[in-house]
Amino acid sequence: MKAAVLIQRWYRQYAARMEMRRRYTWNIFQSMEYADLQDQIKLYNFLGYLMDNFTPSSSERNLISHIFRENEVCRDAEWERYFSYTNIDVPDIYSGPRLTFPLDMDQAADLVEAFKNKQQLHSRYVLQLLLETWKLLRVLPNINRVSTCHSKEITICGDLHGQLEDLLLIFYKNGMPSLEKPYVFNGDYVDRGKDSMEILLILFAFLLVFPGNVYLNRGNHEDHIINLRYGFTKEVLNKYKLHGKRILKLLQKIFSWLPLVTVIDQRVLIVHGGISDTTDLALIARVDRHRYVSSLRPPKKKTPSRTNVYADSERYVEMVICKNRRGSLTFPKPFDARESFQRRSLQDFSSTVARTLEEEFEVRRRQAEFSLSSFSKSHRILSSALSSDSEPESSEFTDTGNDEWKQILDLLWSDPMSHNGCIPNEVRGGGCYWGPDVTEDFLNRHSLQLIIRSHECKQDGYEFCHNRKVLTLFSASNYYEVGSNRGAFIRLGPDLVPYFVQYQATRMTRGLSFPQNVKRTEHTALKILREQLFVHKSDLLSAFQEIDKENMGLICLNDWASAIERVLHLDLPWRVLHPQLVSSTTDGKLDYHGWFRDLALKKPSSEHIEQTMLETLYRHRSTLETIFRIVDTNNSGLITFEDFRQTLKLLSAYLKMEISDEVINELVISTDTNNDGSIDIDEFMEAFRLANTQQCALQSTKTAVAISNRWFTSSKSNKHQSFQQASPKWE
Amino acid sequence: MAPKKIEPKKPEPKRPEPKKEEAPAPAPVPETPKEPELDLKSILLEFTADQIEEFKDAFTLFDETPTGEMKISYAQCGDVLRALGHNPTNADVLTVLGKPKAEDMNTKYLDFETFLPMLQHISRAKNQGTFEDFVEGLRVFDKEGNGTVMGAELRHVLATLGEKMTEDEVDRLMAGQEDANGCINYTSFIKHILSG
Repeated sequence: MKAAVLIQRWYRQYAARMEMRRRYTWNIFQSMEYADLQDQIKLYNFLGYLMDNFTPSSSERNLISHIFRENEVCRDAEWERYFSYTNIDVPDIYSGPRLTFPLDMDQAADLVEAFKNKQQLHSRYVLQLLLETWKLLRVLPNINRVSTCHSKEITICGDLHGQLEDLLLIFYKNGMPSLEKPYVFNGDYVDRGKDSMEILLILFAFLLVFPGNVYLNRGNHEDHIINLRYGFTKEVLNKYKLHGKRILKLLQKIFSWLPLVTVIDQRVLIVHGGISDTTDLALIARVDRHRYVSSLRPPKKKTPSRTNVYADSERYVEMVICKNRRGSLTFPKPFDARESFQRRSLQDFSSTVARTLEEEFEVRRRQAEFSLSSFSKSHRILSSALSSDSEPESSEFTDTGNDEWKQILDLLWSDPMSHNGCIPNEVRGGGCYWGPDVTEDFLNRHSLQLIIRSHECKQDGYEFCHNRKVLTLFSASNYYEVGSNRGAFIRLGPDLVPYFVQYQATRMTRGLSFPQNVKRTEHTALKILREQLFVHKSDLLSAFQEIDKENMGLICLNDWASAIERVLHLDLPWRVLHPQLVSSTTDGKLDYHGWFRDLALKKPSSEHIEQTMLETLYRHRSTLETIFRIVDTNNSGLITFEDFRQTLKLLSAYLKMEISDEVINELVISTDTNNDGSIDIDEFMEAFRLANTQQCALQSTKTAVAISNRWFTSSKSNKHQSFQQASPKWE
Repeated sequence: MAPKKIEPKKPEPKRPEPKKEEAPAPAPVPETPKEPELDLKSILLEFTADQIEEFKDAFTLFDETPTGEMKISYAQCGDVLRALGHNPTNADVLTVLGKPKAEDMNTKYLDFETFLPMLQHISRAKNQGTFEDFVEGLRVFDKEGNGTVMGAELRHVLATLGEKMTEDEVDRLMAGQEDANGCINYTSFIKHILSG
């Protein structure tokens, strides 16, 4: 008896400790995601910086326009030819599905089966399927309207993010879409997971087979620029080396034609992100949704004729400059030049871009003596370069366009918050945070009773808020890491009461017990956290030294925790975490130099300078990579010396860190293992992966060593000053 | 591993060892004060500022209020106490909460200031259960004296005696411990529990 009680007590303590670990692990992942979103904002900021502060010399202007312009300028009529698949031959050895159109249910089911067996659909059929999808989507309205008449239950799924296993699991548990089984998918089908393409193909196939029973909403990741950053573009190009570029272009069009919102029985709203206090469904129903291709590309509107260009241009330029100075329409706070690139939002971008390249040059030629500052000149060049050329008509940016733009951003990017009101969503850089009062008002105005949205990962796959009037639904299980969260889908019958089904794709975790699961997830979270600490080493060191005035090299735990929080802004329970992050303390004080050594580079260096440079590059590696991929317009995975050099120079100017030409050249040479004058992007980025060993360290490719050597030799003490002042502007 | 606080163990008779005290809830523990409310207020907090910061971090982890009000429900109190390295029985937890009604457990909340004296009180309890105590206890079930116990029997005991565990809890605890014959080597089992 006493043994039983003893065991019970100890078990409960054990369980409680598990629970605590599970919770802080979850917190770590969420804050990492937050940090990652900040990363995304960094990218936008960098692009914004380029636009704002750039005085182009001829070579640099090439790069900038290279970065932003698109290669193809096609009229609508030419698209069919461009996407033609008829001359793509399918070899006999191809064993995957061979589709014939129009598709039927069996073919769709076969497709699912094929993907389950890890087959890949041939690019000919991919293009064909996508073309059919595009044709269908063009006739769909912005707002899908669905009814639960005939006692049909509607199944609703949230974010899938390329996780095919979860989609297969949903189909297994719930059955595939059919006449009796309508489905609504709420966006974010792609990015992060590795089977985004397969998910899209399956969803589109079912859409084609059952157009009245499958409804797809657009998510914020159905956006080609976001895809550059989060992996979908890479996936497509890897899987379809020959035709990937065309497939991506077609997908770009398809994404822009995805409906924005689905309404069930005129009572339940399903949208990917959420709403704002200005969301107006009547307006949403009217917009030309396909003009909003990407969160970074503004809508285009036809102007009467080109001859008015000269007269309009002056007004236009003033308008643009005024807009820029006034700040974005969404974020009414005025900001000064220094802050401008930090407070930049997606909305800001849209307000600075409008013209085509040719038009711009025309204007410039005519206004050679126009007394604008170089600021606005470069501004116009870049703003023109950023425009998409998919429609050749010239354009003027109007306020109506801006309103519609904001409405769509809000639908796709917003998150709910617990306080009343509606504030801009500065974490994501687009959309807003909306409160329960906004929900209440919105539902009343539109006679709705529930909002179902996705966009945020929830530990149990779903979560209610705002008095159960808003439901977040997330269908990608194990999103952060194996075992991190469950996914969920819901069934909605005529009573409009959601019935939840939760699941976790457990192929990898089969056989792992709950505690093993927790430990494993925790391990990954801590690894990522250590990475973050390493990346911020210089800032942390300064913070510690500030506290440790006598320079004893020791710091007490409490100070350690508050310093970390100040530097990283991650709002994590550092004191609870410290046993995991700190191996030993003497008298409750931590020897921080020793601690850093454990986190340090493989080649331990006491050179503060070199560390800063490496850290900064490491911190901005995803931005670097995205820019490289944008620049790599033919998607070969390689970029030229010149572009690489230009990119680094731009980045260094932005970060106010000197990277001399000599250093860049040496870096270029050391990275070019192909010796053919081009740099392999993947290889370069390899140098920035921290090795997963006891001591976190940069992978010891010769590049990494080369990098550290270059920086070390070039950044001698006479340059010490400038580097020390290189405060990372983005943190 | 959750940080284990090194507290001076006060050998007060205030908390008689539950090991010797079979206490399904109704049986009153003679030396427990009958007015926990008053008792809480009179508890002197002996934690350092550092420790309190640490407790706050853990407390916040369990805060599930939508606006982050630094409150936990009564039902979570036991978890937090345990997460911080103690192992009160459920009865202990109820006592310290002021013997709330069952329906209060999920509806009533306590804030950090109220929690601290409870934590202090619990932390003064003598540390019950060394490794040897466990082994002794389990040896009772070791019919063959070979260092193993029958998993099924242990499950039964845990689910029916003492502060009964639910089937779920038992499953979680025993996951991966039973061998092909359904036996558990109890020394490793105990190590498993004690190591968390």
